[in-house]
Amino acid sequence: MSSSTSSDLVVEAKHLGKAYQLYARRNDWLKQVAFGWATSKPFSKPFPVLRDINLAIQRGESIGFLGRNGCGKSTLLQVICGMTLPSHGELRVTGRIAPVLALGSTFDLELSGRENVMIGGAVLGLKRGEVQRKFSSIAEFAGIGDYMDQPVKHYSMGMRTRLAFSICAHVEAEILVVDEALAVGDAAFQRKCMDWIEGFREHGTLLFVSHAKADVMRLCRRAIWIDDGRIREDGKPVEVVRSYARAMETEPDDMKRFTAV
Amino acid sequence: MPSVNVVNGKQIVVENLGPVERTIRFICRPFAQMWHHRDLIQAILRREVAERFKGSIAGWVWAIVAPLLAIAVYTIAFSGRLDLPPQYIVTGNQNLSYALFILSGIVVFNFWSEMAFRAPMLLHEYVHFIKQTIFPSDMLAVISTLRATLYTVISLGVLIVFQLITTGGLPWTMLLLPLIMIPFIAFLVGMSWFLCAIGAFTRDAGYLMINIVPLFMFATPVFYHQSIFGSPGDILIYINALTGYVDVMRDIMLVGKLPNWQVYAWTLFTSVFTFYFGYWFFDRYRNVIVDVL
Repeated sequence: MSSSTSSDLVVEAKHLGKAYQLYARRNDWLKQVAFGWATSKPFSKPFPVLRDINLAIQRGESIGFLGRNGCGKSTLLQVICGMTLPSHGELRVTGRIAPVLALGSTFDLELSGRENVMIGGAVLGLKRGEVQRKFSSIAEFAGIGDYMDQPVKHYSMGMRTRLAFSICAHVEAEILVVDEALAVGDAAFQRKCMDWIEGFREHGTLLFVSHAKADVMRLCRRAIWIDDGRIREDGKPVEVVRSYARAMETEPDDMKRFTAV
Repeated sequence: MPSVNVVNGKQIVVENLGPVERTIRFICRPFAQMWHHRDLIQAILRREVAERFKGSIAGWVWAIVAPLLAIAVYTIAFSGRLDLPPQYIVTGNQNLSYALFILSGIVVFNFWSEMAFRAPMLLHEYVHFIKQTIFPSDMLAVISTLRATLYTVISLGVLIVFQLITTGGLPWTMLLLPLIMIPFIAFLVGMSWFLCAIGAFTRDAGYLMINIVPLFMFATPVFYHQSIFGSPGDILIYINALTGYVDVMRDIMLVGKLPNWQVYAWTLFTSVFTFYFGYWFFDRYRNVIVDVL
């Protein structure tokens, strides 16, 4: 299993697929549980979000994920993070993984920024002592000053993102998953994050989802275009971004893609 | 060693263990998880405790006022209206004895009802954590039970002080309180695992609990002693597992004698069984829960 070439693989996916079960009526799942064994016709329709994904990611790679809304990018990253299980195929992930997916959405609005740092750090697997030691550094990176001791409900969206990214930047992850989280930050903060991510790439693996093609080209050495749950193109960012941009112009926005088969 | 290893929707754990070792592993796992996530449990427990009295000026005073009010109400409302076996008349004043009798039952019942009300909605409360981060959702039942434990300990403290003042002393068996509280906490954690897993699939579980918890208040010997039923009702009522805990609690708190060993063995059995059944049930469905929440 551990040959010399595969030891540097941090993510390895073979024929990976995920399908959600869509139910026509809200309580059809109950019928499925109760009578599913007795009938050959299921009460649900499978809705495939990911189909036959084959992927090998080496340590130290930085990969940009492109694709339309609902194409399966976020699901793929959630599966890689281990938040949800794939329904078929094989997946192996090695190393400490930190999702910057939506840490801001887990903030408790009534609590202060400081208290949310303690909780957020713990959720990302830091020990209490570690969070306390890194607290001043986190506060400095977020750069929200005295707001740190105010309830998060008084924060703007941008300030929440600053705090969330700042926490994630301090967890010492080996694999960092950034999912469109930075879009609401202002230019100066985005720049700070980009600089930090560039530093991170020297020792860690980066999985980056963004609709900003310039960021993908700047930060990533490899880009993957996901379309309708499949990998449509995998290669150099310049080329993938170009064909993705061309497709966005020529292919109409087909709403049928959200319909279950 | 991969941190995620999945084949065809099944988590692969590479281990070659016999049935005995697997059983031991299963028995240890909830505790190993709690130890592993101790800092997370602490951080979220702090938030939960702060949340209870959020925006209130009196804050913790309410935690003490509530049991005091209960003492006053039960002393007045049930004065002379209860028929208790003589061993529960622990003070010269009958009315105060009734109050102590009811309160020692109600402490147990309130602890249970808080968990029964909350558990079905527990995963919905933390849906952001479960869906957006890598979160040990099984620890939520532990955290919420610990929070309820804190308030129960406060109520118990008030009750013990009240008993000390009215009876002028405390039985030595009170030192055995942990021997019933710890199994009861395990019972509640197990129940919460089961209820929160069910509650993730359907909100009906929450509505069901809202309707049946008040019924349990009368199906549990809180306001009466089980002996009023006569045989065989006084045995059958132990099918309601809460009866055992209430009974043991009263024996060691009020009467000052060791509990009936059969009753204590029954509470230990319900505790261990509920704890591991709940954990098994939650663990079986935890991956499905993420997708249905």
